[in-house]
Amino acid sequence: MNNLGKFTIGIFLTLGIAWLAFVVGARKQYGDLVPSPQALEEDGSIPADADIFPVELAGLAKQGAEEYASLGCVTCHTQQVRRVETGFDVERGWGKRPSVPRDYVLQDHVLLGNSRIGPDLANLGLRDYSDEWFHQHLFEPQSIIPSSLCPPSPFLYDEIDEPVHADIEVTSELDVDKTRYIRSSIRASRLVAYLQSLKQDYELPEVAFVDQPVEELVAQEDPSDVSEIVSSSIPTWLQQQMDAGKEVYMKAAAGGGMCFTCHQPNGVGLAGQFPPLAGSDWVLGDKDRLIKISMYGLMGEIEVNGVKYNNVMAPPGIPPGSLTDDQIANVLTYIRNDWGNSASAVSAEEVATVRASLKGRAPMQMFTAAELTPAE
Amino acid sequence: MTTDSPDKIIDRSAKLVFSFFLSSAGLWLLTAALFAYLAAAKLTDPFFLSTSEYFTYGKIKVAQANAFVYGWGGNAIFAVSLWILARLSQAEVRGSFFLVLAGVIWNLAITFGLLGILDGHMSGHEMLEMPTEVWPAMLISYLIITFLALVIHRSRQIKETIAPQWFILAALLWFPALFLIAWHGLEINTARGTLQTVLSMWYGQSLIWLWLTPVALGAAYYLIPAVLGRTIDKYYLAVFGFWCIAALAPWSVVHHLEGGPVPMWIPAIGTVMSIAMVFPIAVASTNFHATAFLDIGKVWDSLPLRFVIFGTLSYTFSSYIGVVFSLPAVAKITQFTIINEFHFNQRVYGFFSMIIFGAVYFALPRITGREIPIAAKSFHFWTSTFGVLLLLLAYLIGGLTHGVLAGQPSLEWSSAVIGSIQPYFLITKIAFVILAFSQLVFVVNVWRVIFPNPLSLFAEGKKEVSA
Repeated sequence: MNNLGKFTIGIFLTLGIAWLAFVVGARKQYGDLVPSPQALEEDGSIPADADIFPVELAGLAKQGAEEYASLGCVTCHTQQVRRVETGFDVERGWGKRPSVPRDYVLQDHVLLGNSRIGPDLANLGLRDYSDEWFHQHLFEPQSIIPSSLCPPSPFLYDEIDEPVHADIEVTSELDVDKTRYIRSSIRASRLVAYLQSLKQDYELPEVAFVDQPVEELVAQEDPSDVSEIVSSSIPTWLQQQMDAGKEVYMKAAAGGGMCFTCHQPNGVGLAGQFPPLAGSDWVLGDKDRLIKISMYGLMGEIEVNGVKYNNVMAPPGIPPGSLTDDQIANVLTYIRNDWGNSASAVSAEEVATVRASLKGRAPMQMFTAAELTPAE
Repeated sequence: MTTDSPDKIIDRSAKLVFSFFLSSAGLWLLTAALFAYLAAAKLTDPFFLSTSEYFTYGKIKVAQANAFVYGWGGNAIFAVSLWILARLSQAEVRGSFFLVLAGVIWNLAITFGLLGILDGHMSGHEMLEMPTEVWPAMLISYLIITFLALVIHRSRQIKETIAPQWFILAALLWFPALFLIAWHGLEINTARGTLQTVLSMWYGQSLIWLWLTPVALGAAYYLIPAVLGRTIDKYYLAVFGFWCIAALAPWSVVHHLEGGPVPMWIPAIGTVMSIAMVFPIAVASTNFHATAFLDIGKVWDSLPLRFVIFGTLSYTFSSYIGVVFSLPAVAKITQFTIINEFHFNQRVYGFFSMIIFGAVYFALPRITGREIPIAAKSFHFWTSTFGVLLLLLAYLIGGLTHGVLAGQPSLEWSSAVIGSIQPYFLITKIAFVILAFSQLVFVVNVWRVIFPNPLSLFAEGKKEVSA
């Protein structure tokens, strides 16, 4: 301790051992980490013509990452989904699976973050927000989420007095009469491109989606089980659509439909309160009405299979009214074909057509049964 | 002149350097306080200052941490370390010109670094957010100061070294090593993927554990016996405590990555080493408190020591809490919450700064020969104590609320989870106002002693010129 030289060697030695582990050792471990296909062949080789993940960001999105870092977004937002046993992230709907090191190997600046005053953004691009939504949110978060603490970034936009078609309308929920029109700068467009690109929607050899346990994955790849899939009378595409629909129906987190909470997992509803879907004349009938209800909800009196119900069905989805065309098509196909129901599938195109026909309708304005029943 | 005691001569040799670093440290402390208030105000009203791009919450928060750690922390470390090393070595401070020159470079580098952050050139690495352009200036000026500190130590009269010297020298030497490792791994030979995060997190946390912490511990090891006039109780444990920190702290800090996309052994080993940290914490705590409580009346009567003991109690308390929060079951709730703020402020404010305040109040009258009014010091102590406790309680309770509510997926994020902790943001804003006020008192106290009559400085200067 009295010899400065020996002392110095001692204290650098203790530091050096940690450095060897975290920097040299970990770097070696990361060495061969490259993008990979979602699953490998049994012998560990890469299947021919398989897509590999993660993919390189588009140029605009890459520039957006720089903006994200420079504005300090990382101070309040993480970009990591923790493992199921160490956090609630998957439960909260922030990701389909935990993040793994491989997800980040192509990023120049990794912005994992360590504080969550805002929500996690690792899968922001999967939440089906429109570009317009992002611009409105960046310009003034409180216009969309009144309780948000996220600071507005008006300096990324020009406010326009005489709007043209491409300008974005911002209506504050706090002050409905005040409507402003904004035009995004190139920086704002970069940021939105980046935020939309944030998604970990693929599986990797080392990690599977949480809803789909690993054993199931293996079972599907096992050729001996193919007979079971083939023997089922439902075509594969319909089965896939129904599976996706069931996920929406049963999911009670962001991006889900939460349908089961009222209509029950077995589709029988709750006597006197919520009408059944199984065997329902509404569900098996006109598709248009179903699509409209899935977008806007329904309120007031409705007669299902001869029984009257009077309740309120808020626009489905979390947040309300957020179901995308695909999700609506899938969930409607699911409820028309499970629990003994059997009716034609609903396609995303059909949903899009109905959505276009309702363009003028205010968001969240629930339908009534009378409105949906053709005048006789 | 010949009748002066050796201590007097040493103090006089340190006067210029100590005054320079301390008065810069004071200015940084006030800068950080201003940023802290702005950041807290933006969390209570997101529209506050929102039209200016230079003051986004993300930038201000980062600027505050950097101003506090490098500006206040760095300058305070230079002032206190140089003086304590000189006193313990019984050697004069030499090379004052180069020390002040290096100090000017260091302060300019941080100034430009902070301006760079506000201007949008943030690097995104934890505690290394300042643009890379200022890193060389920081490193060079730091190395000059460290070199001259080692010169003092090398010319010591007594060969035997004691605990304050180990801690302070180790801290002085660890910083450039950490800095170079981070620089190399993040910019020169950039690590891939999340390894960057491992490295920047390791650097940011090690900075607190291996730079700020040892200096404060060293100062406490020096001040407690110096004021009480008795030796450290169970001093033979100190060497064990020192090497435990040296060996364990660089490993323990990575437990913050629990559950994230990094190799699983990294947070796992961090947790194990965090638990092992109870040994050095227990040693320091025993050394300090066993000694202080032998003569608690004297501790209370001496304001410098009151600050120091507040700091050491805070160290013990916060470190044990840190061990508990590193356990995976607890981390599941507290990770990513404003508990992080609790840890940071507890370390840099409740522990490091309080001990530095004590050291300054002890050293300044000896160096300048002028006393600080007892009422002013006492006012500073009480406002600091109250402000820190209020701040830490708000972050602790707020952080636990944050974590528990976030863990319930049915609660909507911004209205239910963050909405519930908003009252705590308001409390932290109030606490930061109190602390800013308290820090202003400290800086005024210090400046009034260093520059008793600011106008006379100019007058003297003129006289010298004319003569």
